[in-house]
Amino acid sequence: MFTRPDNWNKMTPLERRKARLDSWQNAPVQFVSPEAEAKYTERITRLRKIYDMEPHDRPIADAFMGANEYVVRRKGLQGQDVVYNHDKLREPLLEFHREFQPDVSVGVLPYPGKSWDLLDFKLYVWGGQKLPGTMAIQAVEGEYMTGDEYKDFIADPTAFWLKQYLPRAYGALAPLAMLPDFPRISESVDTIDLLLPFGMPPFQEMLHKMMEAGNELMKVLGSIGQTMGMIAAEGFPAMGLNIVKTPFDYLGDTLRGTKGILMDMYRRPKDLLAACEAYVPVLIKSIVSASDRTNAPAVLYVLHKGADAFMSRAQFEKFYWPTWKQVMLALYEEGITSYLFIEGSYNQRLDYLAEMPEKSLVCHFDKSDMRRVKEVLSDKFIIAGNVPASLMSAGTTDEVRAYCAELVELYADAPAYIMAHGCYFENTTDDKLRAFLESVRK
Amino acid sequence: MSEQLVKLIADMEEEQAVALVKQLLDQGADPVAILDDCRAAMSIIGQRFEAGECFVPELILAGEILRQISDVVKPRLTQTAETKKVGRVVMGTVEGDIHDIGKDIVTFMLDVNGFEVQDLGVDVPAAKFVEAVKDFQPQVVGLSGFLTLAYDPMKNTVKALREAGFTGKVMIGGGQIDEQIRQYAGADGYGKDAMAAVALAKSWVGA
Repeated sequence: MFTRPDNWNKMTPLERRKARLDSWQNAPVQFVSPEAEAKYTERITRLRKIYDMEPHDRPIADAFMGANEYVVRRKGLQGQDVVYNHDKLREPLLEFHREFQPDVSVGVLPYPGKSWDLLDFKLYVWGGQKLPGTMAIQAVEGEYMTGDEYKDFIADPTAFWLKQYLPRAYGALAPLAMLPDFPRISESVDTIDLLLPFGMPPFQEMLHKMMEAGNELMKVLGSIGQTMGMIAAEGFPAMGLNIVKTPFDYLGDTLRGTKGILMDMYRRPKDLLAACEAYVPVLIKSIVSASDRTNAPAVLYVLHKGADAFMSRAQFEKFYWPTWKQVMLALYEEGITSYLFIEGSYNQRLDYLAEMPEKSLVCHFDKSDMRRVKEVLSDKFIIAGNVPASLMSAGTTDEVRAYCAELVELYADAPAYIMAHGCYFENTTDDKLRAFLESVRK
Repeated sequence: MSEQLVKLIADMEEEQAVALVKQLLDQGADPVAILDDCRAAMSIIGQRFEAGECFVPELILAGEILRQISDVVKPRLTQTAETKKVGRVVMGTVEGDIHDIGKDIVTFMLDVNGFEVQDLGVDVPAAKFVEAVKDFQPQVVGLSGFLTLAYDPMKNTVKALREAGFTGKVMIGGGQIDEQIRQYAGADGYGKDAMAAVALAKSWVGA
């Protein structure tokens, strides 16, 4: 939990940023030993200096952004274990940290398989459900908002989410469509409209299922929380990231689908722009509240459809960038750093990122030209990247070592650099991972 | 040839292009000539794609425009237009991967470039590729995969094709595919986008 200082309203964005980073850095941890505490302090101090872009002894290496399946797969666990068997993940995760001594902690994303089963979640398929047990999850794109429904979303994103999107995305939540339009509930008789669904058997059945799914979720969070607490207690700090997307990607990934949204740029450009605009205040409010609740100083954007190969610069400038920038600037005002995980290539987008204020971003690249990135962005922002997933999966240990060494040399005089992977990878070897993690330790 | 139609399609003027096709047909235009115009427009879009002037939205929308035109034109075709096919390709997204957009774009671009394409869909097991190759006798097999978890299925599929005696070429492609993965999978080539896939296939069949 982040508590705002009394003088918050008088603080500059960078002072607010400092307050959030202080709160994250000083969060209480019950250490297993004085040695663990010393290691934790050393690690989080280094990471803090990177966040502050101040001189420090060496870059850090982070192959995970907080979560990766390889760290449990290497001990024989499978994708379905990540979804269903959260207690089984604890020992492999602890072992990994003890053996590899990473600069920051790594866990697995808390996928609540049993809750998904109970609610008939449609956006993904997962191991042990429709995918083979070896696999974890895969997104299933669909059209969860028709072109004609843009007007509903634009008029009231929250109502659309509650009454139209959620009933489609979760089969068991279909009765949510029965909910009333809340702002009309005011007079004595309106209590009827408010409570009517709650008296109906299908709605009541849904509520029971939601409670059951909620109980299952608490077990997952309890298990993973305990594991991550034990990892911190042994000396490993977390990066401190919440997860979010850009307005365009929420609309494209979740509501309209890739084909839908890309054609909307031609077929319904005004609707698309208005929907992106409608997202801005909703996202800002939601991220600020999540950042306060979790005490995380940064928010991670998993960026999808704005990459070089997906759309032209003109389309990026018109549809993708303006509302995303509005969100990031508002978060900067609130002291929250935007961590951009830039999948694909952004060689044609670096000048847009350069418009953002100093220290507002961590820019994590996949296939972009890291020399050009250094020239354009490294004085203002923290840079991370870009060891290819293909190299981590199919390359040799020597190739990984050589690639990392080149990056270390290239960024030796940059203010703040994080050795990081490009695209997410599931498969590698211990030797390659060790070469990666040790590349920054001289 | 209707230069106006070619321009409307190439410039993504969806409604106007479809309306013009209906108008031309009502005026007695040759349906085969309209399909030729579509191919000419696609060739322009392909060139623009290679020049970095158009991107995924245009390829997807062009596919959609052509589908609509085809729906209007096909019932009017008195005989199947005998267009000479330059080669046969089997396409599919490999086992374990359910992404279809990249595969669909490649299939579409191969099709408009004169290839006869058998599209096996997504999450296609190696055995299904082997079976298709026996039935369809393609010169080229295209394996698509969006995720890094496609690496091993690609490798397994190439192996299965070779073991089954397939002597044609195999190309792979997808967001995280590069030369490293081409070597790993034992494929003959990889394409960074749909136009690269067309170029590879053309070079292999000598088109």
